[in-house]
Amino acid sequence: MTDATVPPAVARPGLFEGDARTRKRNAAERRFRLYGMIAVGAGLFFLVTLLFAIVSNGIGAFQQTSFTLRVEMREDVLDKPGNRNIEDIKAVKTFAYKPLLRAAILREIEGNGIDTPLSGAKIVGFSSDLDKLLSDGAAAKLRNQVLANPELIGRTVEVTVLASSRVDGYLKGRVTRESIARDKNLDAEHLDLVDVLRGAGVVGKGINTAFITGTDASDARPEQAGMGVSILGSFFMMLVVLLLALPIGVAASIYLEEFAPQNRFTDLIEVNISNLAAVPSIVFGILGLAVFIQFMHLPQSAPLVGGLVLTLMTLPTIIISTRASLKSVPPSIRDAALGVGASKMQAVFHHVLPLAMPGILTGTIIGLAQALGETAPLLLIGMVGYIASNYPDGVGAGFLDPNSAMPAQIYEWAKRADPAFYERAWGGIIVLLVFLAAMNILAIILRRRFERRW
Amino acid sequence: MYDTPKLESETVTDEVKISARGCQVHYGDNHAIKDVDIDIQDKTVTSFIGPSGCGKSTFLRCLNRMNDTIDICRVQGNITLDGQDIYDPRVDPVQLRARVGMVFQKPNPFPKSIYDNVAYGPKIHGMARNKADLDGIVEKSLRRAAIWDEVKDRLGAPGTGLSGGQQQRLCIARAVATEPEVLLMDEPCSALDPIATAQVEELIDELRQDYSVVIVTHSMQQAARVSQKTAFFHLGNLVEYGDTGQIFTNPADTRTESYITGRIG
Amino acid sequence: MPERHIVSSYDRDLESIQATIMKMGGLVEAAILDAATSLEERDEELAERVRRGDKAIDALEEKVNEETVRLLALRQPSAGDLRTVLTVMKISSNLERIGDYAKNMAKRTGVLVQMQPVDGSSGAIRRMAKTVEAMLKDVLDSYIQRDAELATDVRMRDEEVDQMYNALFREFLTFMMEDPRNITACMHLHFIAKNIERMGDHVTAIAEQVIYLVTGTLPEDSRPKANRGAYINPEVTDG
Repeated sequence: MTDATVPPAVARPGLFEGDARTRKRNAAERRFRLYGMIAVGAGLFFLVTLLFAIVSNGIGAFQQTSFTLRVEMREDVLDKPGNRNIEDIKAVKTFAYKPLLRAAILREIEGNGIDTPLSGAKIVGFSSDLDKLLSDGAAAKLRNQVLANPELIGRTVEVTVLASSRVDGYLKGRVTRESIARDKNLDAEHLDLVDVLRGAGVVGKGINTAFITGTDASDARPEQAGMGVSILGSFFMMLVVLLLALPIGVAASIYLEEFAPQNRFTDLIEVNISNLAAVPSIVFGILGLAVFIQFMHLPQSAPLVGGLVLTLMTLPTIIISTRASLKSVPPSIRDAALGVGASKMQAVFHHVLPLAMPGILTGTIIGLAQALGETAPLLLIGMVGYIASNYPDGVGAGFLDPNSAMPAQIYEWAKRADPAFYERAWGGIIVLLVFLAAMNILAIILRRRFERRW
Repeated sequence: MYDTPKLESETVTDEVKISARGCQVHYGDNHAIKDVDIDIQDKTVTSFIGPSGCGKSTFLRCLNRMNDTIDICRVQGNITLDGQDIYDPRVDPVQLRARVGMVFQKPNPFPKSIYDNVAYGPKIHGMARNKADLDGIVEKSLRRAAIWDEVKDRLGAPGTGLSGGQQQRLCIARAVATEPEVLLMDEPCSALDPIATAQVEELIDELRQDYSVVIVTHSMQQAARVSQKTAFFHLGNLVEYGDTGQIFTNPADTRTESYITGRIG
Repeated sequence: MPERHIVSSYDRDLESIQATIMKMGGLVEAAILDAATSLEERDEELAERVRRGDKAIDALEEKVNEETVRLLALRQPSAGDLRTVLTVMKISSNLERIGDYAKNMAKRTGVLVQMQPVDGSSGAIRRMAKTVEAMLKDVLDSYIQRDAELATDVRMRDEEVDQMYNALFREFLTFMMEDPRNITACMHLHFIAKNIERMGDHVTAIAEQVIYLVTGTLPEDSRPKANRGAYINPEVTDG
């Protein structure tokens, strides 16, 4: 084309001696790599710190201290008529069970020859100094056991009852002799007694299944509080989100991506969907409150309403990811299908959608995971609060009965003053993270499976 | 004197399969095809050549209304298949495309098995009454695309696992499975190596027995090798259309001459 | 063609072949003239040079062949380029034949200088050679300028050469009948005349190639033929 290039006048150095420019370039590259490694290292450090903090703070929630006591079920207290009539037994309130527990502890003290100033003497009303060792729910548990099996009356039964949160804290190291100095609830004598009883095998820590399966408990009984009902609440909400957001989101995406004409109106819709994805979630909560509860009069605090709100919040995420995965299907596949005479819909449903499926599923699961961890909109529709009720009876009730959700439950516990609840909040975060990790793993497995077909 | 046999490349029928009159295509503001008149003959390979952006692919896609899928594309004028206007509002493009098959630039088998790739068209058009029928169609199509022997033992294997040339022949098998009358090929060999190209070219020549084949190609040698008729497009105009032999030895238009001899034009 | 190829080396290859052809044409033109001159001036040395010079023409033809084969294989020329290459091959083989005839003239000159000159004949032969040389020059010009008209004109001028040949043929016939001692010389001179007439035919063939190159079709109409004289019975003419 043009004249032959003139050979360079300067003598070129040998290949083994790099010139200054090259050295500078290589140095810049090395520096950049170093920055990158530092950034990754910092990220890893924070992640590890966070995980360590969560696990070290929350692991305690999965263990619970309990007393193993031999309780004498005195017939004269529990069933005065002596005919095991269930109505008669029900008439006996939990107050009556407290002395039985108290007596059982005293028997342990005497049996082990322990010298303690605590005598089981009454302090106020029905309470005694020994009652502080046990959970407030201990007597209720005993009563439930008897109601379930009246045959126990008149016998001495070995029962396991929860220790109070302070005793639990002492065994886990949260409560120390210094900290109880400012605490009216427990005295040093109590701790001395616990130490000895622990040696005797009366007090001990065990796996806390009630934390996973149980319900929330009142401020006074943190040792009883569990995530069970809020897990169910979250589950029902996710079911609503999945059943609504997936079909609506996928249908909307397919229409927008494959069928809708390109005009100002569809452009407007697209821009708005992108914007919706960035709207703060609390706005969706306000919307849910206004529309679903105040206007449509759906029940407050119900997973159905929570699910609807989270559906609104998740839809943009699902639509955006679905459209992206539809877009990533090569147009040659559409051409191929149209070329053999498939209709547009056949092309989409037979060829494009199956190829986009891994992306759609991933997007949906990520959206669900996001919804699972969402707290703010739930605050506004009342899906947060003290739900100590039992499990919903039946699926209908599951959707319509007041319930909480995992993040809301964690928020609720974190709000409470008692350090025992604080520990449970961390524990709840572990449970939540396990669920999120499980969903992400599911997303990866699904994607792999759909992709591996070819 | 002997009655010397005619060169094979000269045997063409005079029956017109597709006819375009005053065809205009606009892409938004871009006037992509300007007033093209052409008669494409039956059982003949017709090649469209021309520089990039000359409108040859656009015009090809008009012939089976693939341009319908593009919103901004407007087609005016008259294109007939066997005398029937394919842009008549009563024509369903889906039905048209079953009769005017298409093979694309990049081999694009569906990510399904070889069998399903070929069976897809007949299935959606209800061409097979039962599985045996469908098996027959699949085998016939694969044989016609000269790939049967290579794939008969692995019909269940994914079509995407074949080599490039095999994939393209699979796509041709897929296109002929719906028993089209016309086969449109948009640069079918541009992604293939020379051996695969030669195989596809051989196949195109065989397909001429049954179909009218229209092929867009960037390779003038390929147009010269496979086609009996050549149309040269330039800036949206059909500059010259005639027998391939004549176009490549003695073109009438200087633009054609400049293009096929590799001069700036 | 005014435009250049996008691949400029293609142009260079084509130009190289054309240059070889022109060089060959120049050598052939010179050979024709020199052969005629050597005959007229009974210059044995010049004749010897013409004979030796044919080797160079043959070598050039070989070179044209090689280059065209190379170009066909590497560039796959089409349309105008294809016609150019085909024409070049034919022109070079025609030129080579003309060169061979010139060499043959020179050979016969070598024999003729040993004999008694035949009066007036060598001048006529030189005029004939001159005419053919001019035709060759014109046809090569028409090739370079892609001038079909000039080529057609050259093609028509072959008739002139044929007529000259016919005249010489009768003349030699007369000489031989007059004096049988002239027979050897006249036979040689006749062959020389015939050679020149053949050269004219080859020039015509080149002209036809030029017409094909420019128009894409070979001329169909038969050109005028004037060599009927060669088939005339001398007895009858005499009588």
